[in-house]
Amino acid sequence: MRTNSLAFRLFATAAAWVLLVLPVAGMIIYSLYREEVENSYDRRIGVLLTVILSDSIDHGDSEPGAPKDVGEPLFEITHSGWYWQIKPLDGRPGRLLVSRSLADERIPLPSEAKVEPNDREVRWATLTGPLEQTVRVAETIYVFGEGQSAQRYSVAVAAALEEVENSLLSFRTRLGLALALAGIGLLAVNLFQIRFGLLPLHQVEKGLSAIRSGEAARLDAALPQEIVPLQQELNALLKSNQDIVERARTHVGNLAHALKTPLAVIVNEARDEPSGFARKVSEQAEIMGKQISLYLDRARMAARIGVIGRVTEVRPVGESLIRALERIYRDRQLSYIMDCPAGTRFQGERQDLEEMLGNLLDNASKWARSKVMLSVATLPADNGAHARFEIRVEDDGPGLTDQQLTDPILRGRRLDETKPGSGLGHSIVADLAHSYSGGLELCRAEIGGLSVRLTLPLAS
Amino acid sequence: MRVLVLEDDRDLNRQLVAALTDAGYAVDAAFDGEEGFFLGETEPYDVVILDTGLPKIDGISVLEQWRRAGRNMPVIILTARDRWSDKVAGIDAGADDYVAKPFHMEELLARIRAQVRRASGHARSDIECGPLRLDTKTARVTLDGQPVKLTSHEYRLLAYLMHHNDRIVSRTELVEHLYEQDFDRDSNTIEVFIGRLRKKIPPDMIKTIRGLGYRLSEGDAN
Repeated sequence: MRTNSLAFRLFATAAAWVLLVLPVAGMIIYSLYREEVENSYDRRIGVLLTVILSDSIDHGDSEPGAPKDVGEPLFEITHSGWYWQIKPLDGRPGRLLVSRSLADERIPLPSEAKVEPNDREVRWATLTGPLEQTVRVAETIYVFGEGQSAQRYSVAVAAALEEVENSLLSFRTRLGLALALAGIGLLAVNLFQIRFGLLPLHQVEKGLSAIRSGEAARLDAALPQEIVPLQQELNALLKSNQDIVERARTHVGNLAHALKTPLAVIVNEARDEPSGFARKVSEQAEIMGKQISLYLDRARMAARIGVIGRVTEVRPVGESLIRALERIYRDRQLSYIMDCPAGTRFQGERQDLEEMLGNLLDNASKWARSKVMLSVATLPADNGAHARFEIRVEDDGPGLTDQQLTDPILRGRRLDETKPGSGLGHSIVADLAHSYSGGLELCRAEIGGLSVRLTLPLAS
Repeated sequence: MRVLVLEDDRDLNRQLVAALTDAGYAVDAAFDGEEGFFLGETEPYDVVILDTGLPKIDGISVLEQWRRAGRNMPVIILTARDRWSDKVAGIDAGADDYVAKPFHMEELLARIRAQVRRASGHARSDIECGPLRLDTKTARVTLDGQPVKLTSHEYRLLAYLMHHNDRIVSRTELVEHLYEQDFDRDSNTIEVFIGRLRKKIPPDMIKTIRGLGYRLSEGDAN
């Protein structure tokens, strides 16, 4: 997960929230539980204090009696952690009573630690008591006897806090474990939620790459309603992009038409004049014509680059071009042989394929004696490279010598200065092929003449 | 041979008419699709030069309408739109050839000759008939290798007969194919020209078929 991603942002905020909330929640739960546990411990101690005092009053007279019915067996086990003690105060003699559990120890008294009593005359304190145990002590003062024999006694109950601490520790451990599990669970669910929630974005990505590779013209996936506006905008953008290209094409075509007719007039007018001036005009007009063709073609090409790719079935293009050429060259009685598997698709514009193939077939037709062959075959894909196919146009005309084949100028002449008519056939084909990262090669055809091999990207 | 030039640019139209007239064709000019369509539908042209970007009705539609109406004279499209998609569309609409602007007049003339020849069933640029020989490229006629001097009207007549040799050609057909639309068509002039031609070539080569017309053949001197 990269840091600059929606998934990371969503996950990070969720994780931060979980890490913040769960410990705070844990602390709150723990403190509430601790308070509850301590309160109930105090209540138990308080109840025992009341029971011991009343039992002692019941069994005594001017002096406290030994409590008999306390009902807490832990008072009977030595150093059990539960103790009671009744002790005369003010340093005067009196009866000292302690629980069996206390043995020789004594309970530290809150009254001696100067703890003030609460509204029920009970002093509460947490002190270090018998055997260095931390104990919770509740103490009340009661006066036994009357008149001269009246004597203040401290009645105290102490309970070791170790029991509470142990219970709290175990609770803390279990709470921590439970919260940690909850946290992990939340994060896992969150991760799943992000993956699942962002799935439509992957669909968008796939759709866009299909558009780029030319398999689709628009984004048609069924997307969740939040992304639908984006999808609509994107499709509108694609449409307007295509419209702009179409408009540019139309303008370029119009410009061609607008310039070429006056140019034809100038050329024809100058041709009829024998003067040197007319010759110059004619020559320059000729150059202008070629430049216009060349740059208009470049402009058309530039208008195409960066435009969403399209896919063109090769076979119908070959068929329609051959149909046209058969008509144009019908006096020559050329036979056109086409070998093109159906389903071979060029990744690019139909017009561009027509232009390349048209020029090559026209050139071959002009030179052929009787036969023009067009064969199309997909090429075995190189590792990682884009799949390609080749178009081979061959004729049984005079062809080129070895020297002509290797000399780029001579080669260009064979292809450009085509028999009747002028043109820039070769450079246009080569430029177009290069703009599609394709290639153009010349060699000798098996049937005698020239073989031109054009390689172009294959649509998957 | 009659040619229709259907081109909306006045200058280019004038140049085409001049060049074609010089080359011995009877030429009609039209400047928009409507007028051009009407002419092409009613007059028997041997070739039509058709611009695609015409006012009123565009060239391709004009061509399609002619073909639908059964007019199958050769049509050469003359256009600045030289992409193969345009060419294919033009040929599919029924054009016979395609010339891109700017063009060389000689090339256009060669294409016209080729269409005329093909339409009358001649494969080569030289048409021979017995001792007569017509070089369509140079518009010259030779008799036994000696050049025959002809006026332009005589040439038009002889060239038409040679293109259609061994076939009876009616006087009306000759008038229709040899003169421009506005020409004062008096069929008697045909007889005058036939008479003149007979003086320049072996007289029995042009036979008068009574009530039907004329026929040019190798002659039955033997």
